[in-house]
Amino acid sequence: MAFLELKHISKSFALSKGTLQVLNDISFDVGEGEFVAIVGPSGCGKSTLLRIINGIVPMTSGQVLYRGRQVDGINLECALVFQSFALLPWLSVKANVELGLEAQGLPLAEREKRASVYIDKVGLDGFEEAYPRELSGGMKQRVGLARALVVEPKVLMMDEPFSALDALTAITLREELLDIWQSPDMPVKNIILVTHIIEEAIELADRIIVMATGPGRVVKDIKVELPRPRDRRTEAFNTLTDQVFSLIEERG
Amino acid sequence: MPPASITPLPDVGLTLVFGLLELLEDRGGREDGYKIARDLNFKFGDLLKVMKAAEILGFVSTPAGDVVLEPLGQQFLAANVNDRKLMLREQLRNHGLFSYFIRLLHGQEDKALTREVALEHLAMLLPSEKPERQFLTMVNWGRYGELFGYNKDEDRFYLDNE
Repeated sequence: MAFLELKHISKSFALSKGTLQVLNDISFDVGEGEFVAIVGPSGCGKSTLLRIINGIVPMTSGQVLYRGRQVDGINLECALVFQSFALLPWLSVKANVELGLEAQGLPLAEREKRASVYIDKVGLDGFEEAYPRELSGGMKQRVGLARALVVEPKVLMMDEPFSALDALTAITLREELLDIWQSPDMPVKNIILVTHIIEEAIELADRIIVMATGPGRVVKDIKVELPRPRDRRTEAFNTLTDQVFSLIEERG
Repeated sequence: MPPASITPLPDVGLTLVFGLLELLEDRGGREDGYKIARDLNFKFGDLLKVMKAAEILGFVSTPAGDVVLEPLGQQFLAANVNDRKLMLREQLRNHGLFSYFIRLLHGQEDKALTREVALEHLAMLLPSEKPERQFLTMVNWGRYGELFGYNKDEDRFYLDNE
């Protein structure tokens, strides 16, 4: 049994004239421990698909099975990280991270303890009382990451998490993300990353789901068998980049 | 500490500095600054600030327009989050601006200053720099190294863990 199974997922939105089909018959499995990247041109519905897996957006037809069972509503074992960071500007770093726990009804002392563990793990020690406005983009996304991790999810779902950051900051955070995913004392088993940056997908993921637009569908499921840590300057890396790029180009 | 030895901080976040170290490691420890800027789509002036910050921290040297990863930078990359913080803390302590404020804060009864007073000191020490930018950078580097804290609500700039 796969960890996560997507079966024939379709999604359409009703418009004033007719309907707009965003996703058409998407099926794939995610194995336990897998890091999956979903790439595709803008408008292919990859972000919508991520939210359907998580349960925030309802699908029109199809099924998502989590460990063999259908989840009604939001899957609390999947936490989302956003491109825009989605932090509350009037709350401190610590309060933003604790916010992730509010829905769980934990007592205050437990919330504070858990928040401080994950603040520590993402390197935000010392920033507890800072406000988002005082932070660089890289630090803001670390807060977004800590807020997702603090609920101790099994699946971390990331929607273009590094796309709003400069290239050097993104290098640092990708590296830290891999450390988190590979760390045995982290509850996170799986990562599903939505990105339009092909090199990012190849550098990080075990598998790449390539999507095309009009309506959004899967055109290719590629296993990335390059050894880690991955070097972007190798022949094999470039070959794979070209392969994914041409898949997107010719259909996009 | 005579004020003459105090140099300004380039206003960049440390996450960029760490990214530069990772990139250098991937490229065999040395690369031309212009080439890095071009590859990353950075303005050269912006990259220069990151290079300068990394040099201040002792992680790289910058001979003739190149950036070279120094042994301390390599050690930093190999360390875990908490050891990185310790290393950074040691480097910051040796920087003129940080050591000035460490001594200043130690001299205060509650080991703290208001932002306004800190800005006055910065304006005096570095008259050609914008004190607000220097303060923000100093606070954020200091927070990363768990050397300084700043609480905006209480307007307290203070020594952390001392």
